This record gives sequence, C-alpha cells and structure tokens, in this order.
Amino acid sequence: MRSTFVPQIAALLGLLFLWEAVVLAFNVPAHVMPTASAVLQDIGTGAALIGRGVARTLLETLLGFAIGAMVGFAFGAAFAWSRALERVLFPLFILSQAIPVIAFGALVVMWLGNGIWSKVAIAAYLTAFPVTVNTCRGMRSVDPQRVALLRSFGAGDWRVFWSLQVPFALPSIMAALKLGISLGLIGAIVGEWFGDTVGLGILLLQAMYMENMPRLWAVILVCGVIGIALYALMEAIERRWVWWRPEL
Amino acid sequence: MMAGGAMPGRTIPQPVEAVPETAPPIVELANVSKTFGQGRQEVSALEHIRLAIGRGEFVTVVGPSGCGKSTLFNILAGLTEADPGASIRYGGQPRAAKELLGKVAFMPQRDLLLPWRRVVDNAILPLQVEGMSRAEALKRAAPMFPEFGLAGFEKHYPHQLSGGMRQRVALMRTFLFERDLTLLDEPFGALDALTRSLMQRWLLEVWQRHQRTILFITHDVDEAIFLGDRVVVMTARPGRIKLVLDVKLPRPRDAEIVTSPEFIQIKRQVLAAIEEESLKSFQQATGG
Repeated sequence: MRSTFVPQIAALLGLLFLWEAVVLAFNVPAHVMPTASAVLQDIGTGAALIGRGVARTLLETLLGFAIGAMVGFAFGAAFAWSRALERVLFPLFILSQAIPVIAFGALVVMWLGNGIWSKVAIAAYLTAFPVTVNTCRGMRSVDPQRVALLRSFGAGDWRVFWSLQVPFALPSIMAALKLGISLGLIGAIVGEWFGDTVGLGILLLQAMYMENMPRLWAVILVCGVIGIALYALMEAIERRWVWWRPEL
Repeated sequence: MMAGGAMPGRTIPQPVEAVPETAPPIVELANVSKTFGQGRQEVSALEHIRLAIGRGEFVTVVGPSGCGKSTLFNILAGLTEADPGASIRYGGQPRAAKELLGKVAFMPQRDLLLPWRRVVDNAILPLQVEGMSRAEALKRAAPMFPEFGLAGFEKHYPHQLSGGMRQRVALMRTFLFERDLTLLDEPFGALDALTRSLMQRWLLEVWQRHQRTILFITHDVDEAIFLGDRVVVMTARPGRIKLVLDVKLPRPRDAEIVTSPEFIQIKRQVLAAIEEESLKSFQQATGG
C-alpha cells in the first residue's frame, strides 16, 4: 500500500526542486515569487500560527461538511420520494446555487455572528447542493425489479428505503461527498474573509495586506495539503465501505 | 376440484384430481384477466385464467414469449392487480392481489442479488424483512448452504460468484422465505445446458425434501415435463390457458426419463399446442 505513493511523493519533490531551481536561475524577485525553501522555512517559523489556523479551518470545514451532507441527504431523499416536492423546491435550489455564495457571505455573518457558525453555514451550503442532487438521482435510479422483489417479501416503504434505496444510491452520494468536502473547504476559507481572527483564510488576508509572499505561499501549500488529505479520506472511506457499483 | 382453464369448443384433457377433495387448493384463480394501457393502446396480457394448485404440487407453465406468464406471476406475487371481476382465492380466502404481498415466495428471472450484501445476507433478506433478527436468521440459514452447494461461500459477495451459484443463492433466498406457494420464473433460463440439467434434478430433490408447492415458468418444454406434475400451456397474447396436461411419470425422475416413450408422448402434445400458438403469434406480428 505504502509503495503506491512513492511516485506521487517523488513527483511532488521534483516539483519543489523545479520551483526552487527556476526562481534561482531566473533571479525572480522575492515579492513576485519566493523560493520553495523560503516558503518551507516560513511554514517552520510560523508553525504555531499556521497550526492554529489549520485546526480552526478544518473544524469549520468538517462541521459544515457534516451538516451539509445531512441536509443534502434529507432533501435528496425527500425529492426522490415526492416528485411534487421536487417540482416545488428544486428550482429554488437551482436559483440559490446560481447566486454566488460570496453574495450571501455578509448576510450570513450578520445573522450568525463573526464566530465559527457563519463559516460552518457557508461550508454546509456549498456541500448540500451536490449531495442533494446525487442522492435524489441515485435513489430514483433504483432497480424497480429489486423494489418489487422486496415488496413481495412484504417489505414496507421504510424497509425498501433503508435496505435498497440508500445502499443503491450510496456510490452516487459518495461521488457528491468527494466534491462536497472540497467545496466545504472553500466555503470555510471564504467565510473567514467576512471577518474573524483565526483560520487559514485570515492568514491569507494578512499575508496579502502585508505583502508577505513566503507566508502567502505557505498558506496556499497548507490549504492544498488539507484539500488533498480530505479528498484522500473520502476515497479511503469509499474504498472501504462503498465499493460496489449498482448492478442493473 | 382441480380446474385447468378449459376452453369451450376444444378437446382438452381434463386434469385429474391430484389432491383429495378434503384438501383445498393452495391457490385458486378464476376469471383472472389483465389489460394494460387505455383505448387504442390497450393490450390484453391475460384472459380468463382459471387455475388451481394443490398443496405439494409442482406445476410448470410453458408458452411463447409475451404470453403473459410473467404478468400472471406478478399478480400471484401481489405486485400487479388483476382486472376487476377476477377471483383469487389463496388458502381458501378470497384475496386482492396486493394482499398476497409477503405471502408468496417469488423468484424473478434475474437473481436480483444485492451487490453490497454477502451471500449469507442476501439469502436471509426476506427473513429480516419479516422482522427476524440477523442472528436468528443466520441460524436458520446455516444448514441450507451445503444443500444449495454454497458451503464455504457464505461470506462471498455476489460479484465473486458464477451465474449458476448466484442463481442458487436466489433459490436459497426463495426457499428460506417459507410460504405456501413458491413462484419460480425461468430460474435456469440463463444457465448452460449441463448446469441446467443438474439444477433441475437438484431442484426436484429440494422440492421433495421441503415439501413446497411450486409454480414454475419456463420456455423449455423438456424442463416443463421433466419437473412438473402438471404442465400448463399458455396461448400467445392474450394469454389464455390452452392445455393442461398431467405428467404421470414416476418420481424420483432421473435424466434418462426424457427419452422414455411416455415422456415423448407428452412432449408431442405440448409441442403441437405450442407450435399452433407460435404460428398464431408470428402471424399477428407480421400482420398475416
């Protein structure tokens, strides 16, 4: 298992070396592009601050993701269950997604305050949409013959839902969750821009105002690592628990 | 009284009493019709089906494609309502089709195993639907694995099994769902000839040991005669019962029986009836 990551790690190291070499070779000024070593050094010196930012942003992301996933699942299941409900509410969902989340940012802060919950709300809002769509689609595509079979065993709606529709939709829900966790991270970082004192989004803003290039790149790198780690986590969950593909 | 949809004006060998008068049939259908669609698109799938099946009987149904066999099964499984005016008596009680949900063990053509459940969990699914705990259901299922040729495969997933094994899992699931009537819809249709013949003999053994009542759909005339106490021949659309033949071949039946004169004699009658029907449906299809 470990050996499979060797090429990826080698590629990453290669990229860092290339970065370092290009910046040095072309004598790029530090305020345009710092060297890779300067960025890594900044991660070292700012470790405590960045660590606190990571903890906060990660918490916002995971809380928002969890809430968004649950809300999305509930709405997706409800839409799959009732076409009428879908017809009434789904256009509102589309409309809400057509408005960029930034436009809601200020509103969310005014409602939920400057603390963690406004970021959680934005992360949840971004996660919920793909989960809703894929839950509904996954449950709609359930094999009618398998539904008939369960009914012939005397199964009621609830049993068909949990024993058939949910597992049938899970691969499709899982795909949405992978997208949703990335969106959740974006939501958390963007949410912090509307005002807070800790978090990776705040570190980005501070680095921008102070024109601290190494710090800016340090935070960008850290955001990337978190994004990859969260995605890898979802992949691992999928491989372990949602490995099947619906047979039709 | 064992009744087999007699059509007026045709010479039809009347079925002989297969069960004593005192034991009422498990299921008794009279005037069961089913029409799909409305107006000009109206299609009559079943017409005036009259059929009774006694306890412990093995009845096979053959007929050309599109003769409504599967519609008949869906009605008996409770999944489709018959047209108004139908009479369905199950266990002596008049029933609407939907009241049969959960009362008849139904095995569709495809195995329909759930890919996320292990073999054992697929097999006990109907027991869990009934409300039995998993532990209890597992205890009930455990001794059946060797009998169904699945010993050692309990923990496998369906995609790891061959088609024949998947079919046996589906059969085991159906047999674990102990009901007065078991409906098998072409369970061996997708299997190769050798596996199929093995499975037929095996099914007869299981049927005798478990003393189930089976209604079995097939396209294969040999299979219908080899397995059945009675063979029901259905007509092309609209599906009616054209012929009901008693198969008085001794049991247990072995593979050679298909070459015996008695077998050939029955087969000739069934084939003649089917031939007539296939021709009719072919003419319908070609507008001739």
